Amino acid sequence: MAALIETKKLVKAYKSGDGVSTILKGIDFSVERGEFVSIMGRSGAGKSTLMYQMSLLDEPTSGDISIDGTNTRHMSEKEKAAFRLRKFGFVFQDYALMPELTATENIVLPLLMESYTFTQAQAMAADALTRVGLGHRLHNVPSQLSGGEQQRVSIARAIAEQPEILFADEPTANLDRESAKVVIDLFLELHAHGQTIIMVTHEEEYGHVADRIIRLDEGSIVSIEKGVRHAHARKQPTKKQSKK
Amino acid sequence: MFSLLNIRVGWFLAWRQIRRSSVWTTSLIIFVMLLTFLNLVVVTGILVGLVQGITDLYRLQETGDVIVSTLDTKNYIEQSPQIISFIQTLPQVEHVTARYIVNGSIEANYKTRTDPNEKPNESGAAIVGIDPVAENAFSGIARNVEEGSFLAPGDFDSVVVGSQLIAKYSFGEIPGIRPLKNVGPGSVVRITVNGQTREVVIKGILIDKANSPLSSQVFMSAAQLRTLAGRDDYSVNQVAIRLKKGVDEVAFKDLLVRSGVGRFAKVQTFEQAIPNGVEDVKNTFAVLGNAISSVGLVVASITIFIVIFINALTRRKFIGILKGIGISPQAIEVAYLLQSMFYALVGSSIGLIILFGFLVPYISAHPINLPISNTVLVAPVGETLLRVVLLVLATLIAGYIPARMIVKKNTLDSILGRN
Ligand SMILES: Nc1ncnc2c1ncn2[C@@H]1O[C@H](COP(=O)(O)OP(=O)(O)OP(=O)(O)O)[C@@H](O)[C@H]1O
Ligand SMILES: [Mg+2]
Repeated sequence: MAALIETKKLVKAYKSGDGVSTILKGIDFSVERGEFVSIMGRSGAGKSTLMYQMSLLDEPTSGDISIDGTNTRHMSEKEKAAFRLRKFGFVFQDYALMPELTATENIVLPLLMESYTFTQAQAMAADALTRVGLGHRLHNVPSQLSGGEQQRVSIARAIAEQPEILFADEPTANLDRESAKVVIDLFLELHAHGQTIIMVTHEEEYGHVADRIIRLDEGSIVSIEKGVRHAHARKQPTKKQSKK
Repeated sequence: MFSLLNIRVGWFLAWRQIRRSSVWTTSLIIFVMLLTFLNLVVVTGILVGLVQGITDLYRLQETGDVIVSTLDTKNYIEQSPQIISFIQTLPQVEHVTARYIVNGSIEANYKTRTDPNEKPNESGAAIVGIDPVAENAFSGIARNVEEGSFLAPGDFDSVVVGSQLIAKYSFGEIPGIRPLKNVGPGSVVRITVNGQTREVVIKGILIDKANSPLSSQVFMSAAQLRTLAGRDDYSVNQVAIRLKKGVDEVAFKDLLVRSGVGRFAKVQTFEQAIPNGVEDVKNTFAVLGNAISSVGLVVASITIFIVIFINALTRRKFIGILKGIGISPQAIEVAYLLQSMFYALVGSSIGLIILFGFLVPYISAHPINLPISNTVLVAPVGETLLRVVLLVLATLIAGYIPARMIVKKNTLDSILGRN
């Protein structure tokens, strides 16, 4: 079975001064449908950069990214945006919610863009917020929510339409331990229901809950490990593929 | 470019941004829009109204709706009695007044003048002979007599004098008019017409705007002027006609011309009779008003530009995120366009309510008392709505440019706050 997302000789370089600094030095790896992968490494290793390439937020210098068998190299920005809208969910480090929109409205907005009716979108938003445990916070604006709650709203936004891949860049970095734990548990629960997740983190504790841990250093993959959960035989999600 | 979907998403975003932004900021922006709108309409409206006030005064006091006057080749209207009685029989007519007008002069203080080399206190003036009752019914001229009283039927050797001929009211000397000093009701003055001089008493003084047709004329009874000017054939110089409400003055003028009056006299509507310059001044003021108020339009555009620019700039990260999760850039642009439009439309709407609900009716009931005219506010509906469209267009452009500037920035750079 083809991988859900696959990178081949992925290179990202920036012009810096008179030279070129290569941040990603030919990354080859793939993520299967239903897999939970964490990308770890030191600060500056290129974790975020890798995630931006894979999630089509950025344009690689060379190399290929295939999603569901489709090579994305020659896609226009418009096509990529459509991909991001329909197939991806994003969770950023700093929540990134529109300050003027309530929790529900923040989720409704991208759903409207996908041509759902307002009523449908509202129902989906309420459902997603309930799933992240915020059923009682539907109509609060971000400033009325704690950091942990805001992050859960942003997770709800990401998963409202059951994306093929959920991308998360340091989703716990701004949170206290308790809220971070809630977020990680949410990810595990989503994963248990078959959600593919690619999460960047530098916190060992959270990185290890994934199925696989990709370690980056200076723009190259230095190791791929199995996550700790696979030592304790936890319930395996039905759709999950664990080939390695 | 802006598909329905983009408009829908943009609207969703815009409306919530407007609703949840600070009431004070929103009110302030709307206030700027309101002032701009009023500036656009009122400056031109008042300038045009200023001239309109002059026109209205001429129509009220001199021309009426239709005026019959001496042909350029004659000194008076031939067949005057027949023409007047014909006009009086027409059912469209509300009031008619006939006037004898001759150039003459008025002199005061001649009795106290001791030095024969001293310049006489004398002024040229149009001496107008009227039937006081008919003239007052026509224009309410008696109301303008603020000192002394108006002529009564049968008054002889009495005159009523316009304020520009009286030193203490006039603006000063203008060519042909040298105001009389130390005169008031009861003063004895000399009127000279066609070489004939007669001593009369000033009975009253007519006070009105400097450019009122009344303010530089001397009125006396028609009977006396006839004898003074040797006009014994009852041939008048002007017949001014006020029509009943709703009667079309152009049609009535045509009727008079067709019925033969045109052979003996000039027949004009008030619009034709009012001095040519007035219309030119009106058009000049309209251009001037537009020029002045377009400065306001630029200020409003800049206001909107800054408001939207700051809004979008402080939300650059969110805009990046929205684009990141797949919201189309156009939808975000629409959101800002709609916000700009909201400010302009709400501002204009409040402006329209103030304008037509208060300003226009109030000023028309209580014209602004400016020295040259009782100024009204002229705001034709079509032109006013055109200004609303102009304001909305200007703010749309002013809002679109900064929104576009921010929205088109690289998505990832916006998310990460990079340049
Ligand atoms: N636009 C850019 N121009 C030049 N260099 C860049 C640019 N963006 C990132 N880099 C460099 O790329 C390297 C990797 O950055 P990246 O953000 O991917 O690191 P990271 O592994 O996510 O680190 P962290 O854990 O601190 O988030 C860093 O050295 C960074 O300075
Ligand atoms: Mg990073």
